[in-house]
Amino acid sequence: MLSRIDAQTTRPQTAARIRRSTDFDLTLPALGLLVLFFVVPVVILLARSVTEPAPGLGNYAELLGSSTYLRIFANTFIVSGLVTLVSLVIGFPVAWALAIMPSRAASIVFAILLLSMWTNLLARTYAWMVLLQRTGVINKMLMGIGLIDQPLPLVNNLTGVTIGMTYIMLPFIILPLYGVIRKLDPAILQAAALCGANRWQALTRILLPLTLPGMAAGALMVFVMSLGYFVTPALLGGTANMMLAELIAQFVQSLVNWGMGGAAALVLLVVTLALYAVQLRFFGTDRMGGG
Amino acid sequence: MLLNFDRLGWWKLVLVGITLLTSAFLLLPILFIAALSFGSSQWLIFPPPGWTLKWYQELFADPRWLESAWTSFRIAVIVTVLSVLLGLVTSFGLTRGRFIFREALKALFLTPMILPVVVLAVALYAFFLQIGLNGTLTGFVISHLVLALPFSILSITSALEGFDKSIEDAAVLCGASPLEAKIRVTLPAISHGVFSAAVFSFLTSWDEVVVAIFMSSPTLQTLPVKVWSTLRQDLTPVVAAASTLLILLTVLLMVLAALVRKGLKS
Repeated sequence: MLSRIDAQTTRPQTAARIRRSTDFDLTLPALGLLVLFFVVPVVILLARSVTEPAPGLGNYAELLGSSTYLRIFANTFIVSGLVTLVSLVIGFPVAWALAIMPSRAASIVFAILLLSMWTNLLARTYAWMVLLQRTGVINKMLMGIGLIDQPLPLVNNLTGVTIGMTYIMLPFIILPLYGVIRKLDPAILQAAALCGANRWQALTRILLPLTLPGMAAGALMVFVMSLGYFVTPALLGGTANMMLAELIAQFVQSLVNWGMGGAAALVLLVVTLALYAVQLRFFGTDRMGGG
Repeated sequence: MLLNFDRLGWWKLVLVGITLLTSAFLLLPILFIAALSFGSSQWLIFPPPGWTLKWYQELFADPRWLESAWTSFRIAVIVTVLSVLLGLVTSFGLTRGRFIFREALKALFLTPMILPVVVLAVALYAFFLQIGLNGTLTGFVISHLVLALPFSILSITSALEGFDKSIEDAAVLCGASPLEAKIRVTLPAISHGVFSAAVFSFLTSWDEVVVAIFMSSPTLQTLPVKVWSTLRQDLTPVVAAASTLLILLTVLLMVLAALVRKGLKS
């Protein structure tokens, strides 16, 4: 009798204890941190774009009306597009090879990919600054084999930024594409061969179309990441091809123009978020892996 | 056919060739910097005319390099601890809680990962100017924590989602308090997620440069900021030495992570 009462009283209590432990308030400390030191500062910055120096859209009119700023926007898109394209062209065969290689060879390539991804960004950018300079190894090598007489201008221009950024973005396109190709069923390609397709037809009519969603998703990710990049373009690019992130930093740091800085930040934010929305809409996370 | 390595025919050569070239492209700059840091030429000539340790001596003789490395390390350790603790608590709330905004909240927690860092850097810089946190250790820790937390939450929630909660409930039914059950039953089971949260958080803070450029003051700067400001002046081999040490730390952490993962599996 006693034990029955005992069981009846303790069980709901235990159930309540389990339920109480699953509460929403556990997320409050992190939410507080994020609101106070992420949401609020960003909102204040964006608000300053329409209040400083005078209320209104003056900053945006200036930003979009000036050929200098428009050139920076254009350059940001050109560099990001170029980096995305080159990464995709190099990344696809590598991801493909990785997906079907013997596992020991693949794990060596993986280790290299991860090492490069995790190596300090500044260290990697510095390496390219040294490699690409006028007296750098690459120019010397090209001159040594007689391909060129004069050192090529490889740094402080579009070439330098593209090489440096592609170097950084390659793993970000190879890894997701690897996942996509890995999941494809080899039987589909066997079927194609049985139906008489040669390798080229199998590639263009089956493999490429099947991996296209994965490629588009990876390319979009690399493009968005490139749009907001600051360190590598600042060090490897010249003053003639400044990118948007550097412009924002310059407005704030050297010009102390918070209105224009906020306006440029909003442009970058809107483009980034819009492209993310596209990514989620068309290649939602599960389709990204499934092809 | 195309997905069978042995039946690729001569296409195999092309694929393997591109993969080898790409691997070399990814690896060589890292090895190159390490080699140059021991080169005797100030002009970073390769192959160097001789070998020397003088750039490392210069690095270790300069108190500003050491100070910035120490600053970076302290910030990274504090950020790692806070990020893992906060990540644990938040992840429990996110995976176990049943409330309407859960998915939206999860997305919000991950946004610092996808927004351009420069926007956060500039926004925090303005905010910290007003509340007097610029150039302080607290300012660094807060800003790096905002960037590290998403990685922590991502690692721990995915580990928690793979954990069968009824095991924890069983411990509670056997008389453990909910907290005790979490610490003694759940935590060991999700330790791989907690460990990768720690590694990601540490590296995020240790390697962070964009926010740090804005947070730093003449008296307080992290190692990447010191590298950045040195690089803006010239390409001195001292930076090669500093970079090599940064790379070495990365390799050590990667090896450690691989060993722990292996140890956890067995």
